[in-house]
Amino acid sequence: MASHPVTAIIAKDLRLFLRDRFYAFITLLGLGFYVLVFWLLPAAAEPAIPIGLHLPGGEDLLAEALAEEADQGLEVVVFTSRSDLEAAVLAGDEVLAGLDFPAGFLPAVASGRPTTARVLLTGEAPAALHDALSAVVVEVAVAVAGQDPPVTFPEVEELVLGVDRADQVLSWREQLRPLLLLIVLLVEMFALASLVATEIAQRTITAILATPARVRDVLAAKTLLGTALAFSQAVLLAAVTATFTRQAALLLVVLLLGAVLVTGFGLVAGSLGQDFIAIVFWSMVFFVPLVIPAFAMLFPGTPALWIRALPTYGLAETLVRVTGYGEGWAEVWPLLALLAAWGVAAFLLGAGVLGRRVVRV
Amino acid sequence: MARRAVRGQGQVACAWGCGGVHTAGMSPDGEVALRASGLRYAYGDRVAVDGVSFKLAPGEVLGLLGPNGAGKSTTIKMLIGLLPPQAGSIEVLGMAMSQHRSAIQARLGVVFEEKNLYPTLSGRENLAFFARLFGRRDVDLDGLLDRVGLATRGRDRVSGYSKGMRQRLTVARALLNRPDVLVLDEPTDGLDPVSARSIRGLIREEAERGVAVLLTTHDMYEADGLSDRVAFIDQGRILALDTPERLKLRHGQRTVRVRRQVDGAVEESVVTLDGDAGDRLRELVAAEGLLTIHTEEATLEDVFVAFAGRRLE
Repeated sequence: MASHPVTAIIAKDLRLFLRDRFYAFITLLGLGFYVLVFWLLPAAAEPAIPIGLHLPGGEDLLAEALAEEADQGLEVVVFTSRSDLEAAVLAGDEVLAGLDFPAGFLPAVASGRPTTARVLLTGEAPAALHDALSAVVVEVAVAVAGQDPPVTFPEVEELVLGVDRADQVLSWREQLRPLLLLIVLLVEMFALASLVATEIAQRTITAILATPARVRDVLAAKTLLGTALAFSQAVLLAAVTATFTRQAALLLVVLLLGAVLVTGFGLVAGSLGQDFIAIVFWSMVFFVPLVIPAFAMLFPGTPALWIRALPTYGLAETLVRVTGYGEGWAEVWPLLALLAAWGVAAFLLGAGVLGRRVVRV
Repeated sequence: MARRAVRGQGQVACAWGCGGVHTAGMSPDGEVALRASGLRYAYGDRVAVDGVSFKLAPGEVLGLLGPNGAGKSTTIKMLIGLLPPQAGSIEVLGMAMSQHRSAIQARLGVVFEEKNLYPTLSGRENLAFFARLFGRRDVDLDGLLDRVGLATRGRDRVSGYSKGMRQRLTVARALLNRPDVLVLDEPTDGLDPVSARSIRGLIREEAERGVAVLLTTHDMYEADGLSDRVAFIDQGRILALDTPERLKLRHGQRTVRVRRQVDGAVEESVVTLDGDAGDRLRELVAAEGLLTIHTEEATLEDVFVAFAGRRLE
C-alpha cells in the first residue's frame, strides 16, 4: 500500500518532466553541447611553447645547446633571418616568442666582450614568458662559452609536497570532464526545483495530501526522481565521453552521491521558488557556489580553504582524481566520505524545507 | 424542499432536523458520518477557528456559510486531515482523525476552492493519477468523465479546459474513491449558470445515494436550495446551525408588498407578517386601485445579517 503513492507520484512527475518543453529542450541541448565540447577539445596535454631562434652562423650549435630545453616545455624553431623571425613572432602561428642573437654573439660571449641578445614577444605574451626567455639567454651564453660564471651554484633539492603530478599533465579534455559532469548534475537541479515549485504553486500538493498519500511519500518520490534524472544524465554523459574506461564502479558511486547532493539543493530551491523567475533565482543561488570547485580544478595548485568548504568540493576533486589520474577507492575514500556527508546534509535540508513548505500550503 | 433517501434504509427521510423528528446531524438510526467537537486553530495570535462543533449525517447536505476570513477554509483543512486541530476532535465514520487519518482520507472526497489540477496532463491522466494514490486501479474513469460531462474531452490536456470544465473535473476527482463523505469548498464559485447547475445536480445525486456532504459557498441561494441545514460561521465561531427554513422563520422577517394606483401614482405598502398584519392586509386588498401583491420571505443573507451585524461578502 505504501508503495502506491510513491510510484504514482514518480510516474506522474516523470510524465510532467517529459512534457515540459523547456526543460526537455535544455536537457537535450545541454547534453549534446557538452559531448560536442568534450570531443572538440585536444586529447593531448598542452604542447611545448614554440620559440624562434636566430643566430647567424651558429644555428646548429644553438639548437644543440637548447635541445634540453625541450624537456622544460620549450620547442625550438630555427630561423635564418632576423626579419623572418620577427614576422613569425608577430603572426603568432608558428612561434609565440623569439630569441634574436646578433652576429658575433658566440665570439663575444666566449671572450667576455659585452653583447646584446633580443627577446621578441608580442603584447599578449604572459609575464612569465618574459622571465623564462631572459633566463634562456643566460643559459645559452653559459653553454656557448663552455664555462660557468665565477660563482658556485648551490645544490637544489626539489621537494614535492603531496602527490607529484609533474609528469601527469592532463589534456584540456581530461581537465574539463569533471566540470561537464558536475554541470550536468547541477542543471538537473533546475528541473527538480520546477517540479516541486509547480506542485506547491498550483496547490496540487494539497490534493495529494488529502488522499492517503503522506508528506514522506511526496518527499521520497521527488528525491528518487530527482536523483534518478541527475544520475542517469551524468552516467549518459560519462559513457559518451568514454569516462568509464577505469574505475567504473567507483565513478558510478561518485555520480550517485553527486546526484543525491544536487537533489537536496533542488528540493530547497523548489520549496523557496513560487514561479519561474523565483525558481531560476534560487537555483542560481545554489548553482554558482556549487560549480566553483569544478572550475577551481582547472587551475594548478591546491584550492583555497573556502573552496574546499563548498559541498561539491569532494565531488569535483574525486572526479578529477579518478578520471584524470586513475586513483581508486583507497586514495579517494576520505573525499567520498566528505561527499556522502554533504549529500546527507543537503537531503535533510531539502526534506526539512519542503516538509515545512508543504504543511503551510 | 425535496428530501433525501438514506442509503440502505429504503425510505425517504425528512431532512435531518427539518421537522424536529430527527436529531440534527444524525440519520434516523443515529448514524453520524462526521462529528467535529470543539475545533480550535490559531495562526500565532490570530484565532481562526474557535470551538467549532457540528455533526453531519449520511445523506445530509450541510452548508457552511461565512464571509472571507471567517474560518471556513481552516475548518475544512482540519476536517480533511491537512491540519491537526490545536484543540477538539474530529471523528469520521466512527474513526478518530488523530488516529486513522489515512483510513479516513481513503473514504473522503474533496473539492478544493482552487482548481488544483495538472494542466499538462489530460483530464483522464489527472484522474488516473489520483486513482493510484487511492490505491484503486479499478475505477471506471470513462464513466466518471461521462458523468461530469467530459467524456469527449477526457484525453485533452487540462490546460485547454474552461473554468467550468476544470471544476467538473475536480468534482470527478472527488468521486474517484466512491467517498462516504464529500467536502466541497466553493464548488460553484465563479462558474457559468450551466456548469454550476451541473455541479449542483451531482451534489444532489451523491447525497441521494447516502453520501454526507459538507459544502461551503458564498451563494445564499445555492446554500438554501442544496442544504438540509446551514451553519453560519464568523470570526471562527458558529453563530447558528439549523435548517434554512427554520432560520429564516425564526430570524428573518416575512413581508407582503402591495402596490396600488392612487390618484394616478403607484403607491407601495409593505406589511410585516406579525400580530395585526391580517387586518392591515385586508384593508389594503379591499381598497381601490390594487395592482400587485408580493409575498417576501427572509433570505439566508438577512439571517446572517441578523446574527453577525454585517453582510456576507
